[in-house]
Amino acid sequence: MTDKDPRDFLPLHQNWFHILLSLVGAEQHGYGIMQEVLDRTNGAVRIWPATLYGTLQRLIGDGLIEESDERPVAELDDARRRYYKLTKFGRKVLDLECERLQEMLRMVQKKRRQEAYE
Amino acid sequence: MTSRLRIWLTFYRRLASAYPHEFRMRYGEDLDRLGEDAIPDVWRRYGVAGLVKLLADIAFRLPAMYLLEIRQDVVYALRMLAKSPGFTAVAMLSVGLGIGMCCAVLAECRAIVGPAPGLRDPATLATFFWSQASYPYFERYRDARQTVASAAAVMGPVPFAVVVTGDKSGRAERVSGHLVSPEYFTTLGVTPAAGRGFGPETEKPGMAPVVVVSDRFWRTHLGADPHAVGRTLRLNGSMATIVGVGPKDFLGIWPQSPADLFVPVTCGVSLAPELSGDPLHRSDREIFRVVFRLAHGVTLPAAEAALDALTRNIDRETGAWHNRDRQGRVIRLMPAGTVGYATPEQHALVDTFNVVLWALVLSLVCANLAGLLLARGSQRRREIAIRLSVGASRVRLVRQFLTESVLLSFAGGLAGIVLAYWITHVLSSLPLPSQIPLEFNCHIDLHVLAITLAIALAAGIGFGLAPALASTRTDIGVTLKKGAQAPLRGYRRFGLRNLFVVGQMAASLMLLLVTWFVALAFLSAARVDTGIEVANLNMVSLDPVRDGYSAERAAALFTNLPEELSRIDGVRAVALTGSALPSHGDSTRVSAPAANGKVGQVLNLVSRERIGANYFATLGIPLVGGREFDLRDRERDGPAILSQTAARALFGVEDPIGRRIRERDSNYTVVGVSRDMRAGLLIARPVATVFLPLTPEWFGKNAAQRVTVLVRGMPGWDTMASVRDRMASLHSDLTVFDEHTMQEDLDRVNSLAQWTSAMYVILGFFALLLASIGLGAVTAYAVVRRRKEIGIRMALGARARQVRGLVLREGTALVAVGSALGLSGAFALARVFSVYSDVLARSFGNRHNNPLLLVGAPLVLAGLAMLACYLPARRATKIDPMSALREE
Repeated sequence: MTDKDPRDFLPLHQNWFHILLSLVGAEQHGYGIMQEVLDRTNGAVRIWPATLYGTLQRLIGDGLIEESDERPVAELDDARRRYYKLTKFGRKVLDLECERLQEMLRMVQKKRRQEAYE
Repeated sequence: MTSRLRIWLTFYRRLASAYPHEFRMRYGEDLDRLGEDAIPDVWRRYGVAGLVKLLADIAFRLPAMYLLEIRQDVVYALRMLAKSPGFTAVAMLSVGLGIGMCCAVLAECRAIVGPAPGLRDPATLATFFWSQASYPYFERYRDARQTVASAAAVMGPVPFAVVVTGDKSGRAERVSGHLVSPEYFTTLGVTPAAGRGFGPETEKPGMAPVVVVSDRFWRTHLGADPHAVGRTLRLNGSMATIVGVGPKDFLGIWPQSPADLFVPVTCGVSLAPELSGDPLHRSDREIFRVVFRLAHGVTLPAAEAALDALTRNIDRETGAWHNRDRQGRVIRLMPAGTVGYATPEQHALVDTFNVVLWALVLSLVCANLAGLLLARGSQRRREIAIRLSVGASRVRLVRQFLTESVLLSFAGGLAGIVLAYWITHVLSSLPLPSQIPLEFNCHIDLHVLAITLAIALAAGIGFGLAPALASTRTDIGVTLKKGAQAPLRGYRRFGLRNLFVVGQMAASLMLLLVTWFVALAFLSAARVDTGIEVANLNMVSLDPVRDGYSAERAAALFTNLPEELSRIDGVRAVALTGSALPSHGDSTRVSAPAANGKVGQVLNLVSRERIGANYFATLGIPLVGGREFDLRDRERDGPAILSQTAARALFGVEDPIGRRIRERDSNYTVVGVSRDMRAGLLIARPVATVFLPLTPEWFGKNAAQRVTVLVRGMPGWDTMASVRDRMASLHSDLTVFDEHTMQEDLDRVNSLAQWTSAMYVILGFFALLLASIGLGAVTAYAVVRRRKEIGIRMALGARARQVRGLVLREGTALVAVGSALGLSGAFALARVFSVYSDVLARSFGNRHNNPLLLVGAPLVLAGLAMLACYLPARRATKIDPMSALREE
């Protein structure tokens, strides 16, 4: 999927952003992703199961994430679960989205400072 | 987990299990597991509302998932079709051309018996079938409000000598018009573009003459003058005020004999000599055509029954009862409002041919699609086996095949619609090869289009599904190893491939032959077949009464004219006639009284012609029996000549010469029998005709009729110049008009039929093209699939020539079998058509013994099939055997 331009995915859909963010630095299974998003957003964002797997399917199709071959230690593993990890391309897309959000944040802050100054 | 939560989980699992097969293969277990984890958690956090949201999410996503799969199917199908561009192009071309030509050509043919332009709701207009009525009868019909909403009486075409006031030349020109009752425009639903129409209040006897002119007359004669209403015209020497200009395209109720002037019957005798003898009050002057607008909800048969009963009543009241035959209907109705005087028989003929040809071409399209899809399906079993083995479901594969077929049919259908619109556009913009000033309002019939498209889609689905179902049942292991050569149930290895070629050859040939049978049958029905020797035959028309002659003077003129003209050098024969070609404008009823113990016969709808002495000799048509009229017959109204059809109908196999017949209220003796002449269009059967002599008495009674003089000259003489000179010297006050040759007259009559026939010939050639495309594609495909075998043969030392010979020999055998089947099928199908359609049975006649067709069509198709064998075989022998072997 390297022939795609990562910028084409911006701005990222909220669900996509949260799923990619959950996979940074750690491989996760579906339920793990769901829980992490819930915890991170203090319950504000809940990705329901069917939506989650529909999105995972799209993310895999577009090459942003992939299934991981590595499994956790045997006593923690559930054979029915699949684990997902970020691809390099997915990481790049996420980084670009973060930069975009930071840029927007900077713009908002600058505007606020101007407002306060006036 | 509590039992309540278990219920929610059951619902969840049910919904999850409905997800598409391939999605479940990947994520099914994960999704189930996630549900088990999430349900207690959601219950704790959000209660029932959360659980409802959870189920709603999984339920609403379900259709989206399937749509996603369909999208994938479409993308895959497009990729597969793009990978075999030859197959795709042939299939699309086949469907596209089929639909395009069917819609366009049939629309064109329909246009001839289609509705006349400018009329409101032409389907509810009706008129008497080949007969006319008197004005008092018409008034009674008009007032039968339960049956007819309104009615109009029309006399026409009536010629007017027109001088446009203000025209410097002051020369009179003959313009055709209609004498109409005041209800004419309201009955037809025609609103004049300027001024007014007629009405019972405005048109009363004794009022100043008025006229409504056609849009065409307004443009050509009045220079599209915006103030034309109020101007005056000199019609037959009397002044008439223009009160209205008709709408665009409107040329009267029958555009085939167009009218440019519409004059109310109240105008008086001086303006219209046709109205002499007080026809508005005499019920014995049956000279008006009646046009009915049927009342809401009244069908044609119902109206016919009601008007028939009414006519019998009026007959009884007026005492005309005895003059009519009381058996059967005394009047018959037929639809009006068509471009020509299309009889129900003509309608049926055109409709039958159209439907049959349409079905045949459509069958060719379906046969092509079937051949292509079946052949292709049989070659894709390896691909199917691979997909089945990696977990694709059967349903999914079947759906995949269906998607491809539907896409193909749909793309072909779209191409067809574009083609159909393009063809109709081109045809509509062509000038009509006819003297009839008529523009085709050619539209594609949306019903035809919809049905054609639906059938093409159904064929695509059906023939796409069959190989899909068969292929997905195969043994994966065997198929993976052997590819397309794996045995399919019930067929031997070579059997299937050969079956396609034989089947396609048979189907193509059968449909092609029957299409041509039908097209040729139509041509033979449409052609006017008079048997007249047209060379050096000229005609001129005279109308002495309109030139100021009294009835007696006119009668004397016609008595002496043939003799005077035949003395001119270069003139071989001269004859007078009421109309140049036997037409069906005037019909009558003829009966043969019972005699010699035989039951009397009555013949309705007999065409009646008035002819002078030497008519048949002048036309060059020998009589079958008896003699024709001679100079003595002018003196009394006694002898009659029957056409063969009329004679057979009245007297069977007996000799009709010398027998008595009764026509209306006169008795005649049959003196001759003429050959049948078919002078009308689209008539499958010859029309029974009775020829009555043109007598001075008749001239006296029908003073307003024009008479045509037929002049047969000798080759090399400018006979007509001498005739004109002689006429000018003898009768300087007589206008000689409408001078033309018999050839021109026949061409005019034939032009519409030729136009229609040309459409059928195009359709026939097009059927050949379709048959060729299908046969060529299937044959070539079959040979291409033998590349591996050819490779083996070459590798084992066979020469290219030997291999080509082998392929061609096998091809010949298959084509021969296919041709034999196709020929027998064609005859069988023609027989079936003949049984079911009387019209086709009559028209077929000897047509399906046409040797050129029966030998030519199989030869063309066989030649094409051999070419389709040879070209791929030659290419296959040129490639390296090893690469052919590795291919699969």
